[in-house]
Amino acid sequence: MYGKGLRTLSIATAVALTASLSLVFFYAPLEAEQGFLQKIFYVHVPLAIIALCGFVLGGLLAIQHLRTRDPRWDMRSYVVIHMSLIFAVGTLITGSIWAKGSWGHWWVWSEPTLVSFLIIFLLYATYQPLRFAIEDPERQARYASVFAITAGAFVPMNFIAVRLSTAYLHPRVLGSTSNLPGPMALTFLISLLALSLLFATLCKYELTAKHTRAQLRALRRRLSGETSAPTRPRSAAPSLHHVTPRARAARGSAL
Amino acid sequence: MILATLLAETPALPLHTAGKYVAGAYIVLFALVLIYVAIMAIRLSRIERDLGELLSMSASSPASSPEGEGEHAPRTTTAGAEHDEHTQDSQDPQPESTLA
Repeated sequence: MYGKGLRTLSIATAVALTASLSLVFFYAPLEAEQGFLQKIFYVHVPLAIIALCGFVLGGLLAIQHLRTRDPRWDMRSYVVIHMSLIFAVGTLITGSIWAKGSWGHWWVWSEPTLVSFLIIFLLYATYQPLRFAIEDPERQARYASVFAITAGAFVPMNFIAVRLSTAYLHPRVLGSTSNLPGPMALTFLISLLALSLLFATLCKYELTAKHTRAQLRALRRRLSGETSAPTRPRSAAPSLHHVTPRARAARGSAL
Repeated sequence: MILATLLAETPALPLHTAGKYVAGAYIVLFALVLIYVAIMAIRLSRIERDLGELLSMSASSPASSPEGEGEHAPRTTTAGAEHDEHTQDSQDPQPESTLA
């Protein structure tokens, strides 16, 4: 069920990424101050926006998990946060490269935007160890959801706090102070769309792979004649084994 | 046509000192995606191996019908299992929950 539409999404992602790279290198004009170095903007900023939105989305999916107690929502929340973390790594690395080229330093500790993003990244870096530390799958899913909601609420608060800060080197991209010319804005939007599609494709890919493995395990148990609940090694990944009566009832009413 | 328009708008790429930083940033993105694809490829090969084991398990299973023996035997059993999974999927998208 997760694989449905994956091919279309993959093709759309490939097309959008190609269009984005073409626009970045062949259409968008050179920026007056930074020149060619500003091309990093089209990969760094979309990566940061998608990572932060992904963290918030992970929190929203976790709310849905706590409401329904359906492990599928926990799985979605886990995958989205996992992918956002990868995008956050990309943001930090590309940002550091840009900082080195632009400011002459890989990292500027006095810059609130950089430090706040690092704090968010480190906060979410504890998500997987937290899951791994809890053996009981149901408790693991519940605690992880609480974490995802709390951390997800912290992301916009952090963003606003940085915006209110006055002393910064980091340029403001979105907002009333943004003065991107038309071709640059178009290129930026296409890049944002392309990387969003990449994010969605990778999430769907991951969900499909996890669901397929779950199906295989179920089939293996059926063929080997096991009837008891499966035992699984300790893992940070969500388990699809446990379903609470509430979730089962919710599913039944949905059908 | 589009390409010609794009090329007409092409600014000269100044491959001075900024070039290496820009290349580095885009290579990072490419590398991240590549690493992810490699990990997924490993997982896919594991799924393929598991599927092979299940296929051989279903072939040696006593549940296999006598007329389905031979080269079609595994297919018969697995197809049945697939059908069960599919039916279960349509009713309950999470197979493990009902099987557990």
